[in-house]
Amino acid sequence: MNASAQSPGGDDIPDLNQRLEEIVYVIQDLAALRFGARATVGTRGDFVDAVAAGVNSLGEELEASYEELERRVAERTAELAIATRELRRQARNDNLTGLANRVALWDQLTQRLAAADRRHARTAILFLDLDDFKMVNDTFGHAAGDQLLVEAARRISAELRAGDTAARVGGDEFVVLLDDVATGEAALAVARRVADSLRAPYEFEGHEYTTTSSIGVALAGDGLTTADAIVAAADAAMYDAKRSGRGMCVLHSKFHYGPPSLIDARRS
Amino acid sequence: MSSDRREITSEKFRIWLRPDGMVEIAWAPHVPSVLEDALAVIDAMSELTGGRAAPLLVHTEDAGPQSREARMEFIRRQEVVSAVALIVGNPLSRMMATFFINVSKPDVPIRLFEDQADAVAWLKEHIT
Repeated sequence: MNASAQSPGGDDIPDLNQRLEEIVYVIQDLAALRFGARATVGTRGDFVDAVAAGVNSLGEELEASYEELERRVAERTAELAIATRELRRQARNDNLTGLANRVALWDQLTQRLAAADRRHARTAILFLDLDDFKMVNDTFGHAAGDQLLVEAARRISAELRAGDTAARVGGDEFVVLLDDVATGEAALAVARRVADSLRAPYEFEGHEYTTTSSIGVALAGDGLTTADAIVAAADAAMYDAKRSGRGMCVLHSKFHYGPPSLIDARRS
Repeated sequence: MSSDRREITSEKFRIWLRPDGMVEIAWAPHVPSVLEDALAVIDAMSELTGGRAAPLLVHTEDAGPQSREARMEFIRRQEVVSAVALIVGNPLSRMMATFFINVSKPDVPIRLFEDQADAVAWLKEHIT
C-alpha cells in the first residue's frame, strides 16, 4: 500500500487505519460488556471523530440500559422473594391465628420423629379442643368465635418453649408439638399449664366469658412411631378427656384404650 | 426575576440574551462537555431569562462530544427552553446533535440547521 495515499478526509491512510483500529477495539470491548471503553474523539470533527463519538455515546447508552436492566431484575427478584415467602407462610400457617397449619405441623413432627433416634429425646403431642367454642360462636357471633381462637392461640403459644410448635388443625382444634420431653408426666404438666391459661376469662365487646379446654397427650415411642399414630393417640386421649368432663387433661396410655383413662385423667 | 446580565462566559461556552428574546450559546471548539457544563449552562440561561422559557440557538459547529450525563441533564431541565435550534457543521456536530434528538428525545420542539438565518426564523415562531 502506498504510504502517502490519503483518505477523502485528508488523512494519511496509515493514520486513518490507526484511528479506525482504535474504534474497532472499543466496539469489541463494548460487545464484551466492558463499558468503560472509549474511543478518542479528535479535534478534526471529521467522520472518524463522528464515528468515535457515536460509538462512545452508544457505549454510554448500552451501559445505562444494562444498569437499568440489572436494577429492574434485582427489584423483581426481591419482589418475587417476598411473594414466595408470603406464599410459603400462607401455605404453612393458619390465616386466622398465625399458628402453623396441619401441613407444617405434620412436616415438623415427621422430622422430629425421624431425628428422635439420633437425639435420644422424645416428642410429645397435645391435642386440644375448646369446650365452649360452639356456645361462644352461637351466643356472641362468628367475630367473637374468631377472637376467641386468636386469643387462645396467643395463650397457648405463651406457654411453650422455643423449640415447641403450636398449630391450628381444625375449627377449635389445636395441636401442640412438644420437643425434647423427658416423660409423659412432663408433657402432661405442660398440658395443664396450657389448660389453666385458657381458663382465664375472655372479653368481647364488653361481655366477659370463660371456656375450658380438653387436652389429650401422647408421647412418641412405645409403638407410636409415625406422625399419624401419635396424633391419633393424642386425639383419642382428648376424647377421653371430653368424656371425663370439662377441662380435663389425659395422657394416652398403651395399656388401656379405649375407656377413659382413670390413671391419667385429672381436672387441671 | 430577570437579572440585568445579558451575557455569561465560561471556559467552555459563551451564552447571551439576544434583543429578540432568544438565547444564543456557542460552545468552545473541540472541548468535550460533561454534566457540570450542562448544569452551568442551565444556570446561566436561567439567570439571563429570569427563569422564563426562551428559544435557544445553539452553535455546535465545532463543539466536542457531549457525555450522556450532560444530555440527560438538558432533557431533565428542558423547562428552561421553549424550543431549540441546533446549528451543525462538521460530521461530529451533526452526529452528536442527531444523537441528542433521536436518542434523548426531548419534549420541546428541536431541529437541526446548517444555516443560522433559517434557525433564527424557525425559533421566532417559539418566542412567547
